[in-house]
Amino acid sequence: MRTLLRNRVASAFAALFVAIVVLCLLAPVYAKDIAHTGPNTNHITETVSVGGKRVDVVSPQGVPIGPTWKARFLLGADSNGRDVAVRLLYGGRNSLEIAAIATLITMLLAIVLGTLAGYTRGLTDGVLSRLFDLVWAYPAVLLGVALGVALAVGGLDLGLFTLHSGSLLLPAFVIGIVCFPYVAKPLRAEALSLREREFVDAARAMGVSPARVMVEEILPNLASTIVVFVPLMVANAILLEAALSYLGAGVQSPNPSWGTMLADGIRLIPGAIHLVLVPGLMLVLCVLSVNVCADAVRDALDPKSTVRGRL
Amino acid sequence: MGGHKVHGVLRAAIAGSLAIVLVMGIAACGSSSTSSGTGTATVLMGTPPDSLDPGLGATTQSYEATWLAYTGLVTYAHAEGEAGTKLIAGLAQTLPTVTNGGKTYTFTLRKGLVYSNGAPVKASDFTHAIERAIKLGWTNKSFLTENIVGAEAFDSGKASSISGILTNNATGKIAIQLVAPYGPFLNVLAFPAAGLVPGGTPMKSLANEPPPGVGPYEIQSVVPNKSFAMVRNPHWSEEAIPGIPAGHVNVNVKIVSNNQTEAEQVLDNSADVFDYNDTIPPTLLTQVESQAKERYAKEPTVSGEYFFLNTKEAPFSNPLAREAVTYALNRQALQRLDSGMLDPACFFLPAGMPGHPSGKCPYGEPTAEPNIAKAKELVRQAGLQGTPVTVWGGSRAPHKEFVDYYASMLNAIGFKASEKIVADAQYYQTIGNISNKVQTGWLSYSQDFPNPIDFYQLLDAKSISPQENHNQSQVDDPHIQSELAALGPVPSSQLSTVVGRWQALDEYTAKKAYMAVFGYDEVPKFFSNKINFKAAVFHPVYGNDWSTLELK
Repeated sequence: MRTLLRNRVASAFAALFVAIVVLCLLAPVYAKDIAHTGPNTNHITETVSVGGKRVDVVSPQGVPIGPTWKARFLLGADSNGRDVAVRLLYGGRNSLEIAAIATLITMLLAIVLGTLAGYTRGLTDGVLSRLFDLVWAYPAVLLGVALGVALAVGGLDLGLFTLHSGSLLLPAFVIGIVCFPYVAKPLRAEALSLREREFVDAARAMGVSPARVMVEEILPNLASTIVVFVPLMVANAILLEAALSYLGAGVQSPNPSWGTMLADGIRLIPGAIHLVLVPGLMLVLCVLSVNVCADAVRDALDPKSTVRGRL
Repeated sequence: MGGHKVHGVLRAAIAGSLAIVLVMGIAACGSSSTSSGTGTATVLMGTPPDSLDPGLGATTQSYEATWLAYTGLVTYAHAEGEAGTKLIAGLAQTLPTVTNGGKTYTFTLRKGLVYSNGAPVKASDFTHAIERAIKLGWTNKSFLTENIVGAEAFDSGKASSISGILTNNATGKIAIQLVAPYGPFLNVLAFPAAGLVPGGTPMKSLANEPPPGVGPYEIQSVVPNKSFAMVRNPHWSEEAIPGIPAGHVNVNVKIVSNNQTEAEQVLDNSADVFDYNDTIPPTLLTQVESQAKERYAKEPTVSGEYFFLNTKEAPFSNPLAREAVTYALNRQALQRLDSGMLDPACFFLPAGMPGHPSGKCPYGEPTAEPNIAKAKELVRQAGLQGTPVTVWGGSRAPHKEFVDYYASMLNAIGFKASEKIVADAQYYQTIGNISNKVQTGWLSYSQDFPNPIDFYQLLDAKSISPQENHNQSQVDDPHIQSELAALGPVPSSQLSTVVGRWQALDEYTAKKAYMAVFGYDEVPKFFSNKINFKAAVFHPVYGNDWSTLELK
């Protein structure tokens, strides 16, 4: 931790990430008390005062107003006359929420299946490794789009639980499934190596059950790898969510996410460039800050690293 | 010296002669390109035609080209507005005699007709053209198979030819027997798919090398998905068919899939015609309206934009809920979402379609402020506050934006709305599946032909089917059914006699609020400054009429 804190760049980016998260969590407060409008409220035919003049929120040609730097429409409006700043914060909330849940699903699946495959070897490893290969073989975005589109209309009904088509859990589930082999494969490789170590042999010789060996001997030794993977997977999930939502297979309309905001704004380039610049910038800052933190964590946990603390 | 003088005179004479020849040449060239407006125009298309074979093509991009190269027995007048919906005799001498209670149509071919390759036209070629369209699988072939006697049997392979078409090459007589009277049958015959092609034309797609036809143009140099040329038919002047002009210019059609690039090319005059099917990007539209206003106009089309309201599913099974929606619709907001290319309206039949009512809208004028308070009151009165409503919509702009607005409005008047956005390619198939129990959603409909029965299939109880349902509101209204039974068989050529009755029916439909109508589409007529803008006809059925393009 001390090593991490000594890395000033990483600390700055960590602070930036925390600031983004806090701002996004405060979205309802901003919407209610500052902008006085909701994320999905349309103001298409309304006007707003800019520089003492009444200006259409959306022009008769369909071009929305740019940043007004006032409480309402601080960062402008979108083509439906919705406040971009409000949608940006709500969109961030959705994007981060999905990224967090997706990362949780990814890590859980990867830890359980990767450790099981690496420790047990034999048939179980063969079956699980082919499963990893199968998911790995598909480009992540394509697989995500295929799953997302298929589930977007009817939702997901697995008997035990049901995810409705508009649920944010749906893209989180899709991303979690698509990404888990990227972590499971290295964890399997590490578990495969760990199972041959003396302390594991000793535990087995003492008659400890395989499940307990995995939990008590293998898993703690995978911790540093898992810790390094978590921020990387968060960044990856944020990007994948944005890509899926951009392609209509992630967050469903009218809920905002940075990806859907990019998709909504793209047709209005160059006249209303704020519609893509604003969510694009937030996406870049968020992913960059998580990636820098991930690098710093990796460096801090890697005893061979020579660039530790010099970022 | 003398020799030198002679040479000088000779040089002067040669120079003078050359100068005269040059001046005459320039004058000649100038006159041919300016006085008659000939030359070549470059037309851009955002989406390539589905096929340039008349027996297959069924998209607006295809019809825009093929109706000028494959004239049928009847066709439309080359005019703007309602005048352009008028059916005129094409290759037939006159409009047909309709006998046998509307079941027999008899035509006589004009004499001396020739195809663009010089071959003579025969009456039996009509049968071949119809059989070819059916065999090739023209998308709208059901108009032929469901109406012409023996066409269904021919399609299924039970018959080798269509028994309901009788032709006589010697007299040029063509008699068509219908299964039952079908009012818009003449409109069906005006499709380019019913345009005549030579009898020996192979029964296979000739999209890349379209067959000869009879019309002011012939289609040449097809490069699939890239370009094709419309070249003036050298034999057309011999035909002299009244009402069908010869083209002034040859047309090079180029496919440009990016709307922004397409609009920029026409704006900077490097191309001549913008595809009316495409949208000028909103951010460029302001520039076009200010910099090119003398060569840009919004043209009305006979196509409507609606939110269907399923009368078989709650909450729209309740008339009050439907009325609430029509009261609350902010059509001006929807107009802005469509980049201003929407004429706000309330009646189901679009303006320009015979039967479009002239009366007042029953739930507030479309240009007035929406009555949200009244709508809320109706929802409360019906006890439907908080009823969940799923709004369905297509994914492309502005369809998704329409639905975003609509869901927001439904929430504002008391429902609890959520959205389901489906890729446009699968949209109609998805909402047409009755098992999906769609409550409401966006719907757009463009005319197949200028006859109100075409639109009313969307409200005809006979159109309700478990799959590919066309009646999204699932309307089964006895009054509408009895009126359709009476008005449907009236031939298009006699439509003017029943216009009042169609208007009354459409006013009734508006009162029932079976559809929340929000407007009629407008499209851009946008040309380069090289084209004579005023002379160019925007046809109500086929869009930009290339045969009326003239270079300045």
